[in-house]
Amino acid sequence: MSPAREAITLPLTFLTVVLVGGIHVAERVAIAPPTLFSLVLASLVLGGLVQSGTLEPMRLMRGERSPLENLNGLMVIISVFAATAQVLSLLTPASGLPSMVMGLFFFVAILQLMAGALDRPRFLRVWAVTLLAAFTMKFIVLAALSGPADTTVARALQLLFEGITLGSMSQPIEAPPSGYLAFGAIALYLFGLVLLPPAQRPALVVRH
Amino acid sequence: MREPVVRAAGAGLSVAYAVLIVWLTASQPQSLAEVTGGLTASIGAYRVDEVAFEDGRRFFHQDQFAEARAALARADPAGRDPRTQFYIAYSFYREGWGRLSHDDALYAQGLETIDRAIALAPGGRIVVDDPGLQMHTADELRAELVAGTTPEWSDVNPMRVFRGRK
Repeated sequence: MSPAREAITLPLTFLTVVLVGGIHVAERVAIAPPTLFSLVLASLVLGGLVQSGTLEPMRLMRGERSPLENLNGLMVIISVFAATAQVLSLLTPASGLPSMVMGLFFFVAILQLMAGALDRPRFLRVWAVTLLAAFTMKFIVLAALSGPADTTVARALQLLFEGITLGSMSQPIEAPPSGYLAFGAIALYLFGLVLLPPAQRPALVVRH
Repeated sequence: MREPVVRAAGAGLSVAYAVLIVWLTASQPQSLAEVTGGLTASIGAYRVDEVAFEDGRRFFHQDQFAEARAALARADPAGRDPRTQFYIAYSFYREGWGRLSHDDALYAQGLETIDRAIALAPGGRIVVDDPGLQMHTADELRAELVAGTTPEWSDVNPMRVFRGRK
């Protein structure tokens, strides 16, 4: 891995994910830090990244490297962790039953990823699908159920749904830019994961 | 470029970017002016537009409160100057004041503004030496705004019609 990628590209990419992922556009623009639960989940994901060989910490920090190299490596690890927590926080609905269900969904999905002992390409593929599924749930399905209805029939259906679920599904309404920013943050996060230094597997030597 | 230079530049950039993100999260700016104002204020380089400030003060003393707030907002676009914010809060007080009742919405805006001004002022102390004002400190103004938004028995006292605007 080139020094520029390790020292500049990777930390700045993941820090941008932290910034863009934290922006919520509603009546006011707010920048939210990751939730505590997302920090716990991000720790598990970091374990999954190492286990799958997506991230090799020994290539970023070890005794033989200079202090400056190790500092760059530490920044990459911290920024991956922060970006992961921010993405998970971003994809978790704000309140009520959907928040609890999505938290549980992420927890089970991460445990499955770790139990599956996937290699790097499969891990990245499954993780991308998991994040996109969560994005669809929050920014398309739940937003449609919580947002203002265009027609009387849609409003009636919303009221019926709210009544059946005792209002536990309603979410704070976010402006459309929030969804686009979230999609951009997820895409940048996945791009950053692809750029991470993979584990170097020992070469297969065939002896005759 | 030599490798140590790239690595040192990367470390510096990353730390600066991380600090910026933490600052943005903590201060929650609502416009680019607030972002630049906050950043320049953090290095002591933020300046109020004195011409616009004097315009605002003049409008304020002529009881043209909407015009005063517009000029004062132009003078302090980032909302970082305690003195300007004090005048904005005072304009909400004077505009919302009524002999029989106060405008709760304007008083609430005034309270929000004076709280922000107090938070910005060193030691939370704002003293404005302006002979056209009857309240010269943020504490007096805040107490008046709080009293105006809190229901009290004195609100039904008929003698309150003789109370003047400060």
